[in-house]
Amino acid sequence: MKIIETKNLVKRFNGVHAVDRLSIEVEKGQITGIIGPNGSGKTTLINLLSGVLEMDSGEIIIDGAKKITRILPHQVSFYGITRTFQNVRLFEQMTVLDNILVVVTERNVFSSLFEKHTEYHHKIAEEVLQKVGLWEKKNQLAVNLSYGQRKLLEIARALAMKAEVYLFDEPFAGLFLEMRKIVSIIIQELKQENKTVVLIEHDIGLIRELCDHIFVMNEGKLLAEGKPESVLEKREIIEAYLGE
Amino acid sequence: MGILPQLILNSIIAGAIYTLVALGFNLIYGATKFFNLAHGIMAAIGGYAVFYFAKTLGLDVYVAIILGVALACLVGFGLDKFIYLPLRRRKASSMVLFVASLGAMTVLQAIIAILFSSQFKTLSQNVGTQKLFTILGGVITQTQLVILLSAALVMAGLVALLYKTQFGKAVRAISDDEEVARIIGINTNKIIGYVFFIGSAIAGLTGILVGFDVGIEPKMGLSLLLKGVIASIVGGVGNIYGGVLGAFLLGFVENFGIWKISGEWKDAIAFALLITFLIFRPRGIMNK
Amino acid sequence: MAYLIHLAILFAIYAILGVSLNLVVGYTGLLSVTHAAFYGVGAYTTAILLTKSGVGFFSSLILGMAIAVAVSFLIGVVLSKLKGDYYALGTFGFNTIVFGVFLNWQNLTRGPLGIPGISKPELFGINFANNFNFLVLALIFLVLMYFASRFVVNSSFGRVLKAIREDETAIAVFGYNTLYFKLVIFVISAAMAAVAGSLFASYITFIDSSSFQLTESMFILAIIILGGLANLRGSILGALFLILLPEILRFVGFPSDIEAQMRQVVYGIILILLMLYRPQGLIGEYKL
Repeated sequence: MKIIETKNLVKRFNGVHAVDRLSIEVEKGQITGIIGPNGSGKTTLINLLSGVLEMDSGEIIIDGAKKITRILPHQVSFYGITRTFQNVRLFEQMTVLDNILVVVTERNVFSSLFEKHTEYHHKIAEEVLQKVGLWEKKNQLAVNLSYGQRKLLEIARALAMKAEVYLFDEPFAGLFLEMRKIVSIIIQELKQENKTVVLIEHDIGLIRELCDHIFVMNEGKLLAEGKPESVLEKREIIEAYLGE
Repeated sequence: MGILPQLILNSIIAGAIYTLVALGFNLIYGATKFFNLAHGIMAAIGGYAVFYFAKTLGLDVYVAIILGVALACLVGFGLDKFIYLPLRRRKASSMVLFVASLGAMTVLQAIIAILFSSQFKTLSQNVGTQKLFTILGGVITQTQLVILLSAALVMAGLVALLYKTQFGKAVRAISDDEEVARIIGINTNKIIGYVFFIGSAIAGLTGILVGFDVGIEPKMGLSLLLKGVIASIVGGVGNIYGGVLGAFLLGFVENFGIWKISGEWKDAIAFALLITFLIFRPRGIMNK
Repeated sequence: MAYLIHLAILFAIYAILGVSLNLVVGYTGLLSVTHAAFYGVGAYTTAILLTKSGVGFFSSLILGMAIAVAVSFLIGVVLSKLKGDYYALGTFGFNTIVFGVFLNWQNLTRGPLGIPGISKPELFGINFANNFNFLVLALIFLVLMYFASRFVVNSSFGRVLKAIREDETAIAVFGYNTLYFKLVIFVISAAMAAVAGSLFASYITFIDSSSFQLTESMFILAIIILGGLANLRGSILGALFLILLPEILRFVGFPSDIEAQMRQVVYGIILILLMLYRPQGLIGEYKL
């Protein structure tokens, strides 16, 4: 079943179409990849789906039911969506542990004043930090971590949300082999739990390995879609990449 | 009729003064992208320098004016070289630069107060016996005419500088994107230094003119600066003509606003205008 | 000795101001330069009620806080539309507008003439004209404000504030309505400032509008930057430092009118040096 659908989604910057009448459907429980040359609109699409940017026109439909024309950033998690960022956006001057705790604690302004911390939140934090191997570093400031560790922390933060849909923007970029394995396992585990993963990636090998379905974007439009093996064979896809 | 022509004239004069401040401020802000609180002090430095050179030392008024502007330039340039540049090199945030400029403003303002006391002083030799001109039912002094002229000249000069010279091109490139400007080979730090030089000169001149018009006091810099900033934002930040438009709008709103109420409300009215624009049209009149 | 007690009371008042402003600037990352406005609201509420009606100190304090809450809520809503530099500028604007009200609503505030003859608190027959007793009262309030702030900062709410400072959009995406959080802390901070204002009014027994201008807000900002942003004890330390500093200067023996200005010079230089060499302040954890 479709968990996310867009209809004629449009986003312009200074007259340039970053996303140009994009209509796609993301299946629940699958790992969907989005590939395309730089500037094809992949990150913009994620930004639109996560409320970071406001669309110019079009519709986003969540779970087949809710039609949205404007997602406010803080409403995104209510739709069961969470994400990571291409250029890692952590809470730099806070500890690794706090980076996780801050997203799982009480969201209501007044209740959060009277909440210190609970066992429950710490359990979640430990669980996700162990998964990415950062539990030992829980008291280090995020700004002091290595690049790879920072990416893993972002993923842990997203995992802590226990969301239905995970939008990962180039989660593997810049990671060494061991860390890539960790991320790959995490993504596959999410699928086993019937969660939906949308993955922007440049590494074709990973796309082939992980994705059930891929979209190819170019200049804000959908160029092709389908199973990785069939799509990646098509000539125009290769040309679009070479032409970047 | 009565008071209306005078009100209009007053508004225009105020607009001209704010134009001068806005032009200088906009120039520097465009290149450095932080609110330099110390910019206003250059006006005070100009005014007080003229006071010192002309009234205390007895030098010829025109010589004093040139010295005053020169001093303002030097101080502005010095601030950049010794404080802002090292901070920029360290990739300091604009908050840090803002606080540093707050420090610089505080120091310089206090030094002026120490050297000259906080009392209001005027630069004109004979207060009240300035040449007066009558225009369309309103009265304007010689100094105020000079102010109008200066505003026009500075604006024209700045437009010429920015759009007809290589230097101007470099400044505009830096204002668009400093990173890129540096990559394509522009010596951004040197150009920014010159920008401070020119901007401070304009500010210094403004202070001198205001000094002849109404007088000088150590705090004059901050209030002029804030008006200039309001004018810039209302008109459209980074846009020369916007700054001018905003300045005149501010001048009119202020002067007509206090028509029926006490003149002490001027500042509050100015800021109310600012806040209105910040809410409803934050990009200003000229920008879309 | 009596003089030391006087200094200690001032220290307590400014420490409350510093701690409360730090919540907004240091923890939430909002460059607010309008704290003096809420300080003034508390001071004027107490001054007016104590001189014109039979309302006692403690009731006036509560009422002052309530008015500060209302005013800061409105200001906070408007400010929420502004980002970065424009936010700071907006706060300048509000301080100026509120100051304008203090200065010009002469029926209520007597403007520059000020309100004299403010009485001391009455509680269980304790004589608060005895400054030592007043000091104890002030310190009790400081301790209360400190622990209240610590409570806020250590809660989940406080953690969200820090995340807002680090990356507002990122924390919003995880489900936090950052507008509400910023508004609430702004209001809490304003209420605390009003408490300091009430104490100030009753202690000094005379207030006028000049104590609540932009420069006062900048002074409080300097305190928390010096002490260290996002560090409550740092703000207390900063207040101590900046209250004692003028006294040290006194030993150098400047004539009294120069002395106030020398204080400003030193404040300014400290700010500049801090930004250049130690942006985290004395014991801060957060670098601007």
